[in-house]
Amino acid sequence: MTIVACAVLVIGIFVYIFYPQRNTEVQTQKTRLEFLRERKDSIYENLRDLNFEYRAGKYPEEDYVAQRAGLENEAAQIVAEIEFLESGFHAA
Amino acid sequence: MAAFGSFAILLGLVLCAYNLVTGAIALRQIAVHPEASAAPERLAESARRAGIGSFVAMTAAAFALVYCAFTNDFSVSYVLHHSNRALPWPYKFAALWSGQEGSLLLWAWLLAAYGFVLRVRHKVDVKLTAYASTILAGIQVFFTLLLVFPAPPFALVQGAVPADGFGLNPLLQYPEMVIHPPMLYLGYVGFSVPFAFALGALMMRYPGEKWIHITRRWTMVTWLFLTCGIFLGAHWAYSVLGWGGYWGWDPVENASLMPWLTGTAFLHSVMMQEKRGMMKAWNVWLIFTTFMLSILGTLLTRSGLVSSVHAFAESSIGSWFWAFLIIVLSVCLFTYLLQRDHLQSEHKIESLVSRESSFLFNNLVLLAACFTILWGTLFPIISEYVEGSKVTVGPPFYNRVAVPIGIFLLFLTGIGPVLAWRSTSFKSVRRNFVWPTIAGVVTAIVLMAAGMRPWRDVGTLYSLMAFSLAALVTTAIGSEFWRGARVIQRHTGKNMLFSVMQLTRRNTRRYGGYLVHIGVVIVFIGLAGSAFNQSKEQEMGFHDSMTLGPYRLVCQSYTQDSNANYDSEYELLNVYKNNKFLLQMAPERRFYHASQQTETMVADHSTLQRDLYVVYEGRNPESNQPIIKVFINPLVAWIWIGVLVMAFGTLLALVPNLSAEQVARSRKPTEENLAFAAGVSH
Repeated sequence: MTIVACAVLVIGIFVYIFYPQRNTEVQTQKTRLEFLRERKDSIYENLRDLNFEYRAGKYPEEDYVAQRAGLENEAAQIVAEIEFLESGFHAA
Repeated sequence: MAAFGSFAILLGLVLCAYNLVTGAIALRQIAVHPEASAAPERLAESARRAGIGSFVAMTAAAFALVYCAFTNDFSVSYVLHHSNRALPWPYKFAALWSGQEGSLLLWAWLLAAYGFVLRVRHKVDVKLTAYASTILAGIQVFFTLLLVFPAPPFALVQGAVPADGFGLNPLLQYPEMVIHPPMLYLGYVGFSVPFAFALGALMMRYPGEKWIHITRRWTMVTWLFLTCGIFLGAHWAYSVLGWGGYWGWDPVENASLMPWLTGTAFLHSVMMQEKRGMMKAWNVWLIFTTFMLSILGTLLTRSGLVSSVHAFAESSIGSWFWAFLIIVLSVCLFTYLLQRDHLQSEHKIESLVSRESSFLFNNLVLLAACFTILWGTLFPIISEYVEGSKVTVGPPFYNRVAVPIGIFLLFLTGIGPVLAWRSTSFKSVRRNFVWPTIAGVVTAIVLMAAGMRPWRDVGTLYSLMAFSLAALVTTAIGSEFWRGARVIQRHTGKNMLFSVMQLTRRNTRRYGGYLVHIGVVIVFIGLAGSAFNQSKEQEMGFHDSMTLGPYRLVCQSYTQDSNANYDSEYELLNVYKNNKFLLQMAPERRFYHASQQTETMVADHSTLQRDLYVVYEGRNPESNQPIIKVFINPLVAWIWIGVLVMAFGTLLALVPNLSAEQVARSRKPTEENLAFAAGVSH
């Protein structure tokens, strides 16, 4: 009985491991463009949070303006690089 | 069944080793020749599947051990030493983790289970998951090797097999003990996953912070398990050990607290990396340290290096753990030195008064607490090595350092959420801190007017600070909910309750986190109550009475009882509060036949105000009368309630946010809102 149980366990697992797979998931390398898009989303989220907190009355006007300008500058730099890389890809 | 269990462990070892070796080869081939044929991809896929197979094998092994315990197979040495025929069935199940070999099997099985989930969900990022899976397989190999060589759970008894087992340690025969160790282990083991992802991301120079996003839920779930495990352990100690307290700075308690502290620091500081691309190297080392502290904790409690009321196993597996720790540290250090240029921060801290600096302070304070506890825990080992004699560090050392640190942390819990990212102006500080400060000061004045005298002793001073800061933090967090909900209310026209719920569902992580902070505040209120503990001990024969605080206890009877598992002695006490009958309590002491050990069953009457905690200490050998010890422990129930709030907050933080469309649907259809909704959905 023990031998049968051991055999079933081994055969089952080995069939599962080595059974030919038609569509193996490909390990693609993440690009700079994907990274920048993630950063852009993150900065947009920070901007949304900032706007919400300002509307909630958490920050005075001058703090809000300064922080918003900082985040928008960051976003602008990232968007510019994304556009540059995208135009490069299209040209290629 | 024992042979099947041993075979399953061996199979598990082979599968983990295959996952580790072929996974590493495949990743190397893909890294060196990214445009190569599909062969490395297929190799990596077979490695992943072997990892999944290892979970099946380890499940079979764990099932075999539980089966042996349930069928009273005393030919298995582990079952003989940790179970007996009269043992109730839930404790037979708990026998799986009541000894060295079984608890290591539980470790290995949980690790395989976490690995199973990680490998099944590999499509979130195939390459990063392949790295994490291979690293996790390395950890699995270590734990499975332990089960094969120094701590085999299916070792057979030499010679004649006894008719009955030696029984389970009576301290473990308590309902919470059925769930406390798995919870704690789920926490310990769970940190392997963010560790594997962090190390994998560093090895492959993963661009961006998506690995944090992937591991965020893993880390929070793990943190939740560890939190519940630690507090279940504290509750177990309070209910079973009978010394009137819940935390004694025991090495095993410390071992579980250390990774919790660094894990908490990690949960906070990764937000800086996600939001602003800062503290990358710091975060990587925080999670490395958390994982290594989990291993160190297991080493301390399993190797017999330190003695503890919670350590139920001692052996010579310490050298294996030291070797593993050195390997882990070397791999982490080597990878860090090789890839450290990848961990450059994108920004710097701009102001000392900002959300970033509050996180940094929070991290430094948590790490200071962790270092203090580590030093105190290792001090007996270090002193023995240096001076030749073991010097143990007691609770006064920890309390002297940890209490002020805890109070400062409580303060940061309140101020962190109301500070702005980047920098906070004086005007903003004034706007956000006026009401919380007033709440804190008013609380302190009211408490002193009610009779608290902080100048009399340092315990009362700390309690007063804790209560005042609790009011400050609650007001600060309450104002966060209030302000946010008012914005929602303006847009939806719904009532405040709906607005608070909507606000929370829009950003579950933030508002769930605030609830966790509220839970921490409630726990601190409970801890602050310990400054006012009282106790009294006396012999209590028939109709004798004892008065403590507002309670009077009168002995009704004392007697003995017996069943197949244990003999017991108990006393029936009528409790009167302000001369009115309140309830009857029955503190008990048991003597377990199989293990020939005694255990205290505490009688506890718990209210929000205080616990009346009664212990049957035994009988006076001269008078043969029972000795009863009574404790009044104020506010203890708040600790357990606080943990429930922390758990609820963490679960809430795991729920996905409302989508922009769902948010837009709940708004009043005004022109401003339609424009705002359009802005959100873009």
